[in-house]
Amino acid sequence: MKKKAYFKADEADTGLGKFKGLEVHIGTIVDDDWDEPMGPTPMPNPTGLRSWDHKLLSRYQPSYMPYCQVCCLCTFGKCDLSGDKKGACGIDIKGQQARIVLAAANIGCSAHLAHARHMVDYLIEENGPRTELIQGPGTEIHAPVARLVTGMRPRTLEDASIILNYCETQLAHTLSATHTGQEGSWLDFESKVLHVGMIDQLSMEIADLAQISTLGFPQADPDAPLVESGMGLMDTNKAIILTIGHNIIPAASITDYITEKHLGDQAEVGGMCCTAWDITRRDPKAKVIGPISWQLRFIRSGKADVVVVDEQCVRTDVVSEAKKVKAPVISTSDKAVFGLPDRSDDPIDDVVKELVSGKIDGCYISDHSMVGEIATRVALELKPKRRKMKFFPTKKQIQKLAEDCKKCSECIRACPNDQPVMEAVLAAQTGNMEPLREVYKNCIGCARCESACPNDYDLHSWMVVAAEADCKDERYMVRTGRGAIQDIEIRNVGQPIVFGEIPGVIAHVGCANYPGGGQDVHDMAEEFAKRRYIIVTSGCAAISAGHVRDENGQSIYERRSGEFDAGCVVNVGSCVSNSHIAGAAIKIAAIFAKRNLRGNYAEIADYIHNRVGAVGISWGAMSQKAASIASGFWRLGVPVIVGPHGSKYRRMLLGDPDDERAWTVYDARTGDRVVTSPAPEHLFYAAETVAEANVLTAKLVIRPNDTAKGRSIKLSHYIDIHETYYGFFPEDVWKYIRRENDIPITLKDKIMAQLKENKWKERRIIDPTLLKEQIVGGGT
Amino acid sequence: MKPVPWQTGEICGPESAKSLTKADVLKRDLKMCKKPLLIVGSQAFTIKHGKGDMIDYAIALSNAGKIDVIATGGAIKEFVERGFDRAKTMGAMEVAYHLQNPEWVGPFKKGPYDMIMIYGIPYYMEWTLLSAVMNFGTHLTAIALDRYFQPHAKWSFPNMKEKQYHVILDEILELVGGSK
Repeated sequence: MKKKAYFKADEADTGLGKFKGLEVHIGTIVDDDWDEPMGPTPMPNPTGLRSWDHKLLSRYQPSYMPYCQVCCLCTFGKCDLSGDKKGACGIDIKGQQARIVLAAANIGCSAHLAHARHMVDYLIEENGPRTELIQGPGTEIHAPVARLVTGMRPRTLEDASIILNYCETQLAHTLSATHTGQEGSWLDFESKVLHVGMIDQLSMEIADLAQISTLGFPQADPDAPLVESGMGLMDTNKAIILTIGHNIIPAASITDYITEKHLGDQAEVGGMCCTAWDITRRDPKAKVIGPISWQLRFIRSGKADVVVVDEQCVRTDVVSEAKKVKAPVISTSDKAVFGLPDRSDDPIDDVVKELVSGKIDGCYISDHSMVGEIATRVALELKPKRRKMKFFPTKKQIQKLAEDCKKCSECIRACPNDQPVMEAVLAAQTGNMEPLREVYKNCIGCARCESACPNDYDLHSWMVVAAEADCKDERYMVRTGRGAIQDIEIRNVGQPIVFGEIPGVIAHVGCANYPGGGQDVHDMAEEFAKRRYIIVTSGCAAISAGHVRDENGQSIYERRSGEFDAGCVVNVGSCVSNSHIAGAAIKIAAIFAKRNLRGNYAEIADYIHNRVGAVGISWGAMSQKAASIASGFWRLGVPVIVGPHGSKYRRMLLGDPDDERAWTVYDARTGDRVVTSPAPEHLFYAAETVAEANVLTAKLVIRPNDTAKGRSIKLSHYIDIHETYYGFFPEDVWKYIRRENDIPITLKDKIMAQLKENKWKERRIIDPTLLKEQIVGGGT
Repeated sequence: MKPVPWQTGEICGPESAKSLTKADVLKRDLKMCKKPLLIVGSQAFTIKHGKGDMIDYAIALSNAGKIDVIATGGAIKEFVERGFDRAKTMGAMEVAYHLQNPEWVGPFKKGPYDMIMIYGIPYYMEWTLLSAVMNFGTHLTAIALDRYFQPHAKWSFPNMKEKQYHVILDEILELVGGSK
């Protein structure tokens, strides 16, 4: 372990003599009490794992779909890059696309990293640098991502800070690579995308580890509590404080204040997006209102008496929207101040008075300890008069207003999901609100329809009014984030995962930019959970997965276990908890295969890529953070599927199943070069429909190392899902048969016929690796 | 007036499709093309055309012009259920990738193709697919057959009124040798 140390003494009496005003700086302390040998790449720089990246990128080639054919990043431009033209700096269109992908990944990483930095600095100030980092019971392989990437075992907040120093340096390098006249090769831009994705994963692990250790969250707990969720569960008899964002520190001060002052019967806190998960991890009495896309509809409902925002994915018009319902906004993050006056140094009584009177629309409070008191007191004072107010129009008013619709179609053209908004408005003219209600179900709450409407209709509000009964019925129980997966759980499932007998680990993560409502996430999770895949969730996807009730009124979290095992649905927590999903895959290599993790990234990524049938799905991926999260999984060799809007990331990473060279690996036992099945076929893919995503998921969990039994199980599911959603037996099954005992027994006739038709030849089951140095004897 | 993209934010770069306002404008390209490919997305069966839907139209177009069909996003199920066997399934993003390769022979092994006709994929996704074709699949002539303007095609309907759109679709069908 490397760290800097510094101490100071006014007077010191030592064996060497007496010292006055002693100051000692130590550059590095090497922690030698860890017997795991250091691997080849501790704290790699942006080119430290370039060779591994290029292996992945030669198999999974970027397929660019430019969103724009010009570059407008410097004053040489705009440069037209269409055709084979180059920009004034020499960049071509492929390089430019890769550069934009890197810019997005950098932005995403910066958000998590700045979040982590804020969290760690704050907690050091509150608790001291030596505060222990604890992932939870049964997590001896503590902080697996940090071990793998840095070679460090972060034991204290001080260690966490050192790791963040490393992350910040790497981000500065990868960000600088996007400057004019730096990187020029698409391949090396893409390598840096993978690098910053890895840094993102590391910073997420540090952020979650810091908060789990210090804020009373569940610690690797399969029985993390079920908490209330949904718009319909917010109790309007109490003052309601809405928190939006990702950083719990300010929100924690609110729940703490309510607890400390025994105000739980008068006020309650609800969260949206990841702050929702994190407040319920700290205080299960808090509520998860909904995913990020629900923020506008909840603000407009007027139920929230005060809105407290922290960072990331907050609507940037939150102040004007909250003003419409006379709810003040408290900004708490220096990253999202929204033009509000800084009242951090003013007496709390004065701030409360001005917010309650409406003299100011909101304020910025940088001192988190003040936020709890201000937010709670403002909410309590505003609640009585706000409950008498009506914020939505009545259905009759909507009907009347709708009569003036210009039928211009601008609302439809503005809708990212092409929803029939105008037709719904025209139906409302006759008093038929059902079409507006239908639009609500698929609406992702962007309100672009309103911005486009020449009549300035509050169309999103109209949808919410039409769906009033549905909103009231949004009442679910969801399991809050458990944090890491325990070593013992990995020990129990490691072998069946690596051998393929548990057919796969599927992670539903990310944002809520769904093409057709959030139910899709639930349905996809259920489809595979019932087939005994391991399902992991996080972030907004974890909320949406829980927002469907079965015939018994239960959510997926009530029906299914929170223990990491076949058929489970495990919510790890907020965005930063995604690192535990990566951590679980990494720990499989350590626990089941006894591989060293320490600074040993390429070997472990190679292991995961070839053996661990994991697939990430971000059905509503929207943000740059989603891009950087995906990038971290790509570098580990884990494929990621996004919904159709994910095509707007403008670059896929695709394999060509017909190109045998791409699927050639080493047999680690013999050193032979051997052609394997095209598995996993792609590394990044936008699926057009749920049907396509399901079929692809079943295929992408296939790995070269599957045992015959495991391959047979995986193929059975793939074939069944393909027949269900596509209506016929898949034509590429033969590519995944190595020997006859890979064939699912009940499908033998059909598959044998396919093998014959394709002149199939038996292949060996090998010990697959992309790394020459993994060949027994070192490949020399 | 120059057509504009249907989804207002989906503006494009310096190059933009020509407006397909009558079937005759395709005559020259159809005559020049030797190997067309029809790509049909998941929304095709929700779009009515004549007495059927746009899956039926695809079948008619394919039969008339002996055109291979790639169905994306699970649209294949509709073709299978209608007993049509000249369609294969691929993902839209896979198609976008392979179309950049001038030697790609396709799932029927009958390529390489020199023209694509495409419709039925969610607007923004077809937009990105066609961007890949316009920028990197320059050996292809791309004709978008959706009602709404796809700027990255060579030819695209200009957000046309529904009735007129279906008339021209039928004319295109006749152009490739079929009947309504």
